[in-house]
Amino acid sequence: MAWSHRNLLDVDVLTREDLETLLDQAMHMEDLMDRPVKKVPALRGKLVVNIFFEASTRTRVSFELAEKFLGADVVNWASSGSSVSKGETLRDTVWTLEAMGADAVVVRHSMPGVPWYLRDKLRRASVFNAGDGAHAHPTQALLDVYTAWRHLGSLEGKRIAIVGDILHSRVTRSDIIAFRTMGASLVCSGPRSLMPKDMGALGVEYEPDARRAVVGADAIYLLRIQMERQMAGLFPSEDEYHRLWGANEELVRRARPGALVMHPGPINRGVEIESRVADGPQSVILPQVKSGVATRMALLYLCMGGGEA
Amino acid sequence: MILLKNARLFDGVQLHGGATDLLVEGKTVTRIASGLSGSEGARVMDLAGRVVAPGFVDLHGHFRDPGQTWREDLTSGARAAAAGGFAVAVAMPNTEPPLDSEALVRDVRERGRHTGGALILPAGCVSRGRSGEEMAELASMVEAGAVLFTDDGAPVLRSSLLRHALLYASDLGVRIMEHPEDPDLSKGAQVHEGRCSALSGMRGMPAAGEVIGVGRAVALARETSCAVHLTHVSTAQALEEIRRAKGEGLPVTCDVTPHHLIFSEENVLTSHLSAIFKVNPPLRSLGDVEALWEGVADGTVDALGTDHAPWHEDEKDLPFVEASFGIASYECAVAAVLDEGRRRKVPLEALLRLWTSGPAALLPPWAGVPGRIEEGGGAFLTVLDLDLPLEVNPDQWRSKVRLTPYRGKRFIGAPVATMVAGALVFDALSEPPHE
Repeated sequence: MAWSHRNLLDVDVLTREDLETLLDQAMHMEDLMDRPVKKVPALRGKLVVNIFFEASTRTRVSFELAEKFLGADVVNWASSGSSVSKGETLRDTVWTLEAMGADAVVVRHSMPGVPWYLRDKLRRASVFNAGDGAHAHPTQALLDVYTAWRHLGSLEGKRIAIVGDILHSRVTRSDIIAFRTMGASLVCSGPRSLMPKDMGALGVEYEPDARRAVVGADAIYLLRIQMERQMAGLFPSEDEYHRLWGANEELVRRARPGALVMHPGPINRGVEIESRVADGPQSVILPQVKSGVATRMALLYLCMGGGEA
Repeated sequence: MILLKNARLFDGVQLHGGATDLLVEGKTVTRIASGLSGSEGARVMDLAGRVVAPGFVDLHGHFRDPGQTWREDLTSGARAAAAGGFAVAVAMPNTEPPLDSEALVRDVRERGRHTGGALILPAGCVSRGRSGEEMAELASMVEAGAVLFTDDGAPVLRSSLLRHALLYASDLGVRIMEHPEDPDLSKGAQVHEGRCSALSGMRGMPAAGEVIGVGRAVALARETSCAVHLTHVSTAQALEEIRRAKGEGLPVTCDVTPHHLIFSEENVLTSHLSAIFKVNPPLRSLGDVEALWEGVADGTVDALGTDHAPWHEDEKDLPFVEASFGIASYECAVAAVLDEGRRRKVPLEALLRLWTSGPAALLPPWAGVPGRIEEGGGAFLTVLDLDLPLEVNPDQWRSKVRLTPYRGKRFIGAPVATMVAGALVFDALSEPPHE
């Protein structure tokens, strides 16, 4: 195998072979996580800086654990709000971090395109996108593909139904690319006011009726519904949303037997998902969390660890 | 006295075959004939078959003067315009303070005559303070030299004010230039609603917002029988509304920008959301670009307007959402459009009209912008070398801008000289370029 990437901005640059390499590597990392001593020295002496300009707990902690399990030195650079309101520009911030010796920057930002902007500004450090606006969330896509692959085997010809707010979902944009690269097909469902105008540009089908969308699905992927979208007039109420697009046991029964129930977290119980489904036998929501650490370890190792497995 | 020898003449309407000579005395073109010889002391320029056109007119430039001169000023902008082939440029009034009074308009008018570059003519605001509420003193601004009225940067906020201003301005002989947009539909939006918004996750400006802006202006033109000009039209649907209005005989005109003819939303995507492509209206779909070129070819489009919008690097070298809207292009817009027009086999005459007789006809006659070349007419001239290769290098621009999506682009065909009222303000034929 040859791994030629030193950054990960979005999954569109990864070939199927790249993804398969990463899945294999993540499986080793998951084994490692089950050992009594979880640490390996693969990134010993490397400095990784996590800069999160937007609130995030699980993605930040997941990255931090992955970095620590690989033996890297980890700094969490606290920042919030836009760079302008902070009085320091984004490029000055990352140049400062690079001057302090950062080998990699993991960045989460509310503005789309920030990781590419930083990649162009940094002279040496690797850049990992931990989510930029509603644009991309490549490591979420990696952990989702990994989780589905572990439970379903090959994803070739498999069908994934994504239900929720596609318009504002960075998870969906990256997941669509990664699942398609692995040979799966996708259908999206949710109110039309929460869909991009040009669904064709995303390369997925759209079925407004969730009960139809999940028919034949090997996995149902539910997205978090945010209150502010309802306030902005994009849909009338959480109750109505739940009634029409929320995942209950009846909806899950319409999918293929044993279909996976997935969610990027944190979940809104009683809105996009009922507790019985979230906690039910088909839910892989917690395995997704573990996969997140394993796939991020695999990614950091491949991009920064010298590449030879 | 300047004698231009061996010119291929575009008179504002037609491109003439064969070569001719033009004699410029003082501020006037006095003779057009072959075999002219100047009197003793006349400066002779042999154009060797290059095209001489009426001095190009830009209806839409942002000079950031007064108040924002770290971005551009009248002198840098006017010299940039001249180097891009423009003899006349209309300065948008969204400055700090906005040009909404006689004194401010007069200031720009006076300083705009003496820049050593293009002649700058001021546009005045439609509303006081450009706030869209109360009408500015339009008649006083006309007395001070305002040649257009616009709240550009935004549409005239209130439809009732637009209606009243159309009526009030019609007797002044100065047009209202409207920026067509529905501000509610574009609130918080960054890019074109379509592929770009779908793939980037950024909020989109739907074409419908521009259509609503055009539709409002057309309806008011019909209601009042007053002329209205729509600037930087960017979508197929909005252009179709204008085509229909013109078919109906309404006094509606429009311009399009070079960047909407050259770039599309695909550039935003392939650049991974680089802010150099951030502009309002946003770069639209490939289908929209095709429709704009059709409008150029079939005469629906009356003029090209650069919407030259300079920003300092610190306002533009930022993540897309934080960066300012605007593309600066004075020193390459003509070359870009000539090059693309040739590739698309658009008749040269059709393009040249959009920089000359087209826009000149939208300015009041007293502005003294001829848009034609004729004996006895004002000596506003642009000389084009249709075979000259140009590589865009903003490091050598006269404009203060360095960040532009045109950097490094190569075009064939460019302006090589510009004359304003008999004075050569740009001359790449006699001086080596980039001295």
